[in-house]
Amino acid sequence: MWKYALIALLGIYSSNAVLQTDANTLVLLDNLAIRETHSIFFKSLQDRGFKLTYKLADDSSLLLSRYGEYLYKNVIIFAPSVEEFGGDISVERLAKFVDDGGNVLVAGSEKSGDALREFASECGFELDEENAAVIDHLNYDVSDAGEHTTILTSAKNLIQADTIVGKENSKADSAPLVYRGTGLIADKENPLVLKLLTAESSAYSYNPQSSVTDYPHAVGRGTLLIAALQARNNARVVFSGSLLFFSDESFTTAVQYAQSGVFHKLSGNRVVAESISQWVFGETGRLRVASVQHHKEGELLPPGEAYTITDPVIYTIAIEELVAGKWQAYKASDIQLEFVRIDPFVRTFLKQTKTGSYEARFEIPDVYGVYQFKVDYNRVGYTHLYSTTQVSVRPLEHTQYERFIPSAFPYYTSAFSMMIGVFIFSFVFLHFKDEPLGKPLREDKKSQ
Amino acid sequence: MVVEITGVISKFYNDYVQNTTKKLKLVDIYLCYILLTGIIQFVYCCLVGTFPFNSFLSGFISTVSCFVLGVCLRLQANPQNKAVFAGISPERGFADFIFAHVILHLVVMNFIG
Repeated sequence: MWKYALIALLGIYSSNAVLQTDANTLVLLDNLAIRETHSIFFKSLQDRGFKLTYKLADDSSLLLSRYGEYLYKNVIIFAPSVEEFGGDISVERLAKFVDDGGNVLVAGSEKSGDALREFASECGFELDEENAAVIDHLNYDVSDAGEHTTILTSAKNLIQADTIVGKENSKADSAPLVYRGTGLIADKENPLVLKLLTAESSAYSYNPQSSVTDYPHAVGRGTLLIAALQARNNARVVFSGSLLFFSDESFTTAVQYAQSGVFHKLSGNRVVAESISQWVFGETGRLRVASVQHHKEGELLPPGEAYTITDPVIYTIAIEELVAGKWQAYKASDIQLEFVRIDPFVRTFLKQTKTGSYEARFEIPDVYGVYQFKVDYNRVGYTHLYSTTQVSVRPLEHTQYERFIPSAFPYYTSAFSMMIGVFIFSFVFLHFKDEPLGKPLREDKKSQ
Repeated sequence: MVVEITGVISKFYNDYVQNTTKKLKLVDIYLCYILLTGIIQFVYCCLVGTFPFNSFLSGFISTVSCFVLGVCLRLQANPQNKAVFAGISPERGFADFIFAHVILHLVVMNFIG
């Protein structure tokens, strides 16, 4: 009996993949019908422990924070056509929300409103012009109405990051993804923007109603379908050009390339969308520094004031990753430690110990000054891990220098011989009577 | 040419032997001894390297300073310079010499390691 209870308890526990503090989520919709057409996506969020609050995007009672505290940790905006948010929410408020660490998932469409365009440009990408859609005359689905805008893009066009798109989903033989919507253009100068999904090389983004007269804004693999931003404070924003990507229709549909006839029973949308939602709301790819310790070899505590030059030192850092709502020791072999005084003097790999924490042993350089132990770990799909610990390194004390060095014996001998020399010389000098050298001296003697 | 130089040197030598008091010759011997010690140290340092640099510095500087102090004493003890050091007795000069040495060797011992 108790076994079943335990299993049931475990089941409940594992379903709460998200941390309780991160669960509150505001969902902004164009109309409440979207709640029904995207029910599988919302259901998967709720199953993972998210508390969803549905509102219309132009609802005048919208409230993001109360008394300076945010009511929500995450915001989903499935409202492509909204021109202006209602109530407390505006593009500036959303940008501030991201600055304060909130996560945002946005889906647009061919007819995106000004509010989404402005928010996109705040995040470092741009939505293509109104009515422009991604068109692919070679890789479109059989269900397409004739404009070739219901495109299929292979799973190998996903970003190479297991934490964002899932380990299994980006393989070449995975099911293709259905997409219908506008193309995104990423700011090339912005290093924080990630290109989660691009179109096939035969795609471009243009208004399907008009003939192509200008060069399209986005062409081929450069056509971004889903883009992400991980800000410097590790807040995450995902921007999709297609609302359809997250819908029940695309989750459950079978896909077939209209040209080649390749058939898949189920599109890849569902697994990829769930994986992306796990990443954007901080369920996966989250790292933190649990503890940092450093001390001289053979000791347990850091020195009271400073290290001495050439001390052997041990640095230990515990790094944890959030896995299914629990912080576990993170495993990697490419984490580096730097010992920095303006420039790094030591750069070494951290080795994982049996306890799961990382350790580096090295000798402090023969240069004194103020140093930092610095771990700066930045990988696509993970939070930016940055930890610095400042220590001072002092020169040897006067009594700590090496003494009686054999090669210095001639110098010692010389110094002592100088002393003995002056001792003997002074006796000789004082007791030496000058013998007369000229007349004046002789006269002196006579007078005495 | 060579004859001239040897002539100059032999004249200088004869002059030195005849007209220098024995006391000054004694000081000169002392100075020679210091000079030799200093040169030997410098050559040794060039051969072995500067590793205990503080030891080399204190050893070498002690010889240099001893030499300078010895020259000073010689100047004061020279009867020809009596006019220059009119107010200073030879005893006072010697006491200064000893005092400077005490200070010098204290510093050298501190620094030699």
